[in-house]
Amino acid sequence: TSFRGAHSRLTQTIAQQKIRALVSARRDRDRQKRDFRRLWITRINTVIRKKGVYYNYSKFIHELYKRQLLLNHKILAQIAILNRNFIYMIYNENIKNEDSKE
Amino acid sequence: MACRRYFFTLTRHYSSLRASKSQSFHPLKSLTSHIPFLQRLPHTLSPTFDSPSFLFRNFSSRTKNPKNPKIIDDEYDDHDDNVEDDDEDEDDEEDDEEDYSSEEEVAVSNEPSKFSDRSYFAEDKIQEAADIGYKVIEPLQRSDRVFKPYEPAFAVVQVGSHQFKVSNGDCIYVEKLKYCEVNDKLILNKVLMAGSPTQTMIGRPILPDVAVNAVVEEHALDAKVIIFKKKRRKNYRRTKGHRQELTRLRITDIQGIEKPETPLAVKPAKTSAKKAEKVAVAA
Repeated sequence: TSFRGAHSRLTQTIAQQKIRALVSARRDRDRQKRDFRRLWITRINTVIRKKGVYYNYSKFIHELYKRQLLLNHKILAQIAILNRNFIYMIYNENIKNEDSKE
Repeated sequence: MACRRYFFTLTRHYSSLRASKSQSFHPLKSLTSHIPFLQRLPHTLSPTFDSPSFLFRNFSSRTKNPKNPKIIDDEYDDHDDNVEDDDEDEDDEEDDEEDYSSEEEVAVSNEPSKFSDRSYFAEDKIQEAADIGYKVIEPLQRSDRVFKPYEPAFAVVQVGSHQFKVSNGDCIYVEKLKYCEVNDKLILNKVLMAGSPTQTMIGRPILPDVAVNAVVEEHALDAKVIIFKKKRRKNYRRTKGHRQELTRLRITDIQGIEKPETPLAVKPAKTSAKKAEKVAVAA
């Protein structure tokens, strides 16, 4: 196991470390949801910022909500990395619609 | 969502669930003792049954080996009466499931145990549940060759509250879907986006014409998660285990999007974006 030194050899410390491991697992399962959302947000942000000056994640998400696009952050981040053109296409559509509406 | 890869099939779990639900009249203790009781089930409950939708099976051949679950139900063909109700345990590939008499247990497993009521509500319940989970069940078929080789198109599908980016041949783990069994074909209606090398479709919010076909592979439990609560110095600790029930779906086809014939087309030659203008459909 990956418990270093005395933490994997001495029985009392093993018991303590096991308890700490379970506790941090529980705490981190809730944190996991937050952490992943942060990760997705930063990833979407980086991809979107390349589209021009003064264009960033917040504006992109605002446009998405305006256009009633229900893709969630996880999917957006995946698409941003794997199929980058699709994000750009969403962005283009938003731009086009803005021009036509205004 | 299901990060853990260790699974064990839900068959035993299901069989005990079904038995316990159907046997509200008969308290049962162990799985093997279910079977002699089930033999008596059709007879004891026959006054409450009205419709021919309940099929009484001949249990004599089945109960010879209660512990050996390898009973393949090949010659069973009573589909005439029951089109709406889910067929029970007709998995040709899943050998582990045991057979039980009444069929309603699969459809409405959380209902109170009144058999006559179940036959009325089963249809509506199935429809409602299908709308919630965005799936439509088709009957299982044995001789369909549904599994195609990989095509470069993908679709973003929503099941329940989770979204998946899916393409042909993927398998996804989804929260347990109630009204389908193994080897059922499903259609996932709620497609948020679809793309291929030649075409992109972005739905507002969903695309009405695109449908994703999937096949239910198994109903299984996730790996066990130990929930451990501790308050230090207060002499308080609790341990609890949890296994989430999941369904594994294998995606077979995406319909409604153009797929290029040459599989090596990497760069999009022409990209046309289609929008489906829809006023906000409740998710």
